[in-house]
Amino acid sequence: MIRAKMNKAFLKIFGKEEWYLVTIPVFLILLSFIVAAIIIIFLGKNPFLAFYNLLQGSGLAPKPAYGGHKSMLTDFLSLLNYMTPMIFASLSVAIALKGGLFNIGVSGQMLFGGFFATILVGYSGLDWAIAKPLVLIVGIIGGAIIGGLIGLLKHKFNINEVVSSIMFNYIIQYVFSFFIHGYYIDPVSRQSKYISDASRLTLVNVQMFNLKMDLSIGFIIAIILAIAVKVFLDKSRLGFEIKAVGANHKGANYAGINVGRTRVLTMLISGAFAGLAGVTYYLGYFASIQPRVLPSMGFDAIAVALLGNLHSYGIIAASFIISIIDKGSTYMSSKAGVRQEIASVITALILLFSACSVYVQHKIQSKKDNLEYKARKEIK
Amino acid sequence: MSEYIVEMKNITKRFPGVVANDDITIQIKKGEIYSILGENGAGKSTLMSMLFGMYEPDQGEIWIRGEKVNIKSPNQATKLNIGMVHQHFKLVRNYTVTENIILGIEPIKRYGGLFPYVNLNQAAKDIAKLSKRYGLEVDPNKKIEDINVSLQQRVEIIKMLYREAEILIFDEPTAVLTPQEVEFLLKIIEELRNGGKTIILITHKLEEVKKVADRCAILNKGRLVSVLDVKDTSTKTMANLMVGREVSFEVAKKPSTFGEVVLKVENLWIRNQDNFDIVKGVSFNIRKGEIFAIAGVSGNGQIEIADAIAGLRKISQGNIYLNGKNIKDLTIRDRIEMGISYIPEDRQDVGLILDFSLAENLSLKDYYKKPFNENGFLNRKVINDYGAQLIEKYDIRSGQGIKTQVRSMSGGNQQKAIIGREIELESSLMIFVQPTRGLDIGAIENIQKMILEERDKGKAILLISLELDEIMSISDTIGVIYNGEILKIQATQSLSINEVGEFMMGVKYDD
Ligand SMILES: Nc1ncnc2c1ncn2[C@@H]1O[C@H](COP(=O)(O)OP(=O)(O)OP(=O)(O)O)[C@@H](O)[C@H]1O
Ligand SMILES: [Mg+2]
Repeated sequence: MIRAKMNKAFLKIFGKEEWYLVTIPVFLILLSFIVAAIIIIFLGKNPFLAFYNLLQGSGLAPKPAYGGHKSMLTDFLSLLNYMTPMIFASLSVAIALKGGLFNIGVSGQMLFGGFFATILVGYSGLDWAIAKPLVLIVGIIGGAIIGGLIGLLKHKFNINEVVSSIMFNYIIQYVFSFFIHGYYIDPVSRQSKYISDASRLTLVNVQMFNLKMDLSIGFIIAIILAIAVKVFLDKSRLGFEIKAVGANHKGANYAGINVGRTRVLTMLISGAFAGLAGVTYYLGYFASIQPRVLPSMGFDAIAVALLGNLHSYGIIAASFIISIIDKGSTYMSSKAGVRQEIASVITALILLFSACSVYVQHKIQSKKDNLEYKARKEIK
Repeated sequence: MSEYIVEMKNITKRFPGVVANDDITIQIKKGEIYSILGENGAGKSTLMSMLFGMYEPDQGEIWIRGEKVNIKSPNQATKLNIGMVHQHFKLVRNYTVTENIILGIEPIKRYGGLFPYVNLNQAAKDIAKLSKRYGLEVDPNKKIEDINVSLQQRVEIIKMLYREAEILIFDEPTAVLTPQEVEFLLKIIEELRNGGKTIILITHKLEEVKKVADRCAILNKGRLVSVLDVKDTSTKTMANLMVGREVSFEVAKKPSTFGEVVLKVENLWIRNQDNFDIVKGVSFNIRKGEIFAIAGVSGNGQIEIADAIAGLRKISQGNIYLNGKNIKDLTIRDRIEMGISYIPEDRQDVGLILDFSLAENLSLKDYYKKPFNENGFLNRKVINDYGAQLIEKYDIRSGQGIKTQVRSMSGGNQQKAIIGREIELESSLMIFVQPTRGLDIGAIENIQKMILEERDKGKAILLISLELDEIMSISDTIGVIYNGEILKIQATQSLSINEVGEFMMGVKYDD
């Protein structure tokens, strides 16, 4: 009897079946925070304070004091700014995975698009009305070239996309590092020289309400394109073909779908999104390129895409959560004295638990079936 | 102790939209061969999957050797000495026979009492012993992908025996075998029974039941209809109980009228991956209104011919003409559009996209055409309506209709979905490989009738089947293939089943 009641309560948490896609991940994320809290307690710190610091650091809760022309709103806008390339990068991973391809080269494609946008447009002195769209276009083309090339290598020479992606990552990382060091380095910051404000995809220090804010143009584009990706995959002919090849390439081939061509297109699109991530990262959130390193965001995106169930809205939500943790971690470590690495631990826990979502769904379903059956029996 | 080794009491299992098993009670005696019959989707595989721990029943109890048990996983079933050969084999394709058999229960030895390693030698010896004892010869060092289905099935059987299974479940084991292989398997099953094992046999072939089974349970739409003593029951009674109506075993076939040539295959050569000629200079024609059957023992090149005509496989020499046009260099889609339907041998890996919905699978070859596709976007309503129409026409049964994920459908209904889709293409040439494999007798009757209707509409049909009975009863012309060559092409009426059988073995080479 008690068990039945508990089961009922357990089911109530998750609500109607249509909502499982939302309620189950939320439940699992909460669970990860509980586990993280236990770890923080063991470290002798106050977990609630730490979590509150995360929110404060990312502009979701007020800090006790702000510098001049800053407020919660500026922090929040900065969060959106940081989140923008994350959305693009995760969409890039998701599209490739839907097509059965593992694009582990998002980082390299980001750098490729970002580098060319920087040297071609960022240093050009073009007017903003031309420069900004051009940055986007160069990013898209740059990412698509590398992505498409990876697809082509798979199609023509049967080279595994994971291997070629990693290879391109290295090549891009070191070759561009060489060029940056040789031609574009800023001797003080040891990074590439700053790009012109006109070409930047984030409007920096916009004066409003007596505040100085960073407005991300890319964010709006990211949201629009996320919705477009969903429509594309759900409804379009090419989206159907990409999913078919991803689910069963032999079956797709049998049905007359050109598997090789579809794979090249998939990687082309995936690469284009990686390129967008690159320009919103290097010419948006930042305004220069740090040589010799690949953006770790390209790898985090794999996790974010999976957490978001490869679904556009899920990816927006997952990017938001992971960005809060990333963004807020600096503030947390300075305030609560919890080391920044704990933020990575929380992220890892979320990913670990979200891998169990299918299991949880199965459990809920079987409990529900049983309750329904018993109810029917009692009526009889 | 009770006289029953297996008792499943009041078992109920529901899936979304369907009660797969509804209050089923069966009791199986030790040492008997117990057969389970029923239409496609009646719930046979589901019932046995629960005994093997792949699903848990929603309701009901399972008793083994007089004790109530809760079987939550196949591992637990194995501990209870239950083994199962699934409808679709579950072997690791790039592992060897030995590795597959010991997978999960590897015999461990330690170097110097310390470092554990898998004792493959011991395993190979044990396996050889088992093979010999039951006459299940198989090369333990071959990889699964390099051996044919009948040998793969042997591996599955040895795998069960290696785990010391006492209760052996076979889910449609004969569907993939040639008649000779079926004979052999049935003999093995009887031997196993004589050795004290208990056998549960799911099959659609009533002669097999008649031949080996002691008792049979008949399921219909998830319910148990009756349990019969096989020796007191005619196959006709079983069939009627199963389908719930009178089934005729005879196919009514109108005399044929052939029109012009639709498919002309000329000196076709095909090479396999190992650079070995698997089809050697095959030529034949199929005319409008003709069912041309290629008869042969499996692995003699017939599947490769079908794949080559459909464009799934490269040819090394020769020509293929469809309605007078050479199609040997066309893409798969071009060939489909020129009028080729194809039911492939492997329905799960090739013929369907298991993770897609039933409706999507039913329009898998039309989705890009108008009105399914308008300006690059799919019209879901058209796809759904078309799907619903085919489901109705071909009696495709599933839990949730057009929305059903094909992976969850029963084997026979997956097959019906492919057949429906391919017939509806209205192609001038239809290639049917094992079209009725895994179907229940009612469905076989329907499908054969439909194939004949297509013929009468003037379609050219290439039938590749391992079932000689099927070939004899519906084909007009038979080409017998042996070792990559067609030895004989002759009108079906002028041949007896024995003659065809002999040609298939390569005898009577010259005449
Ligand atoms: N995993 C699953 N999820 C949802 N529905 C399922 C699942 N497995 C089986 N079903 C449904 O349960 C019913 C019984 O299926 P089952 O596979 O047991 O049939 P069967 O008697 O073995 O048929 P066949 O002769 O075609 O193999 C079918 O309607 C099928 O669609
Ligand atoms: Mg079955």
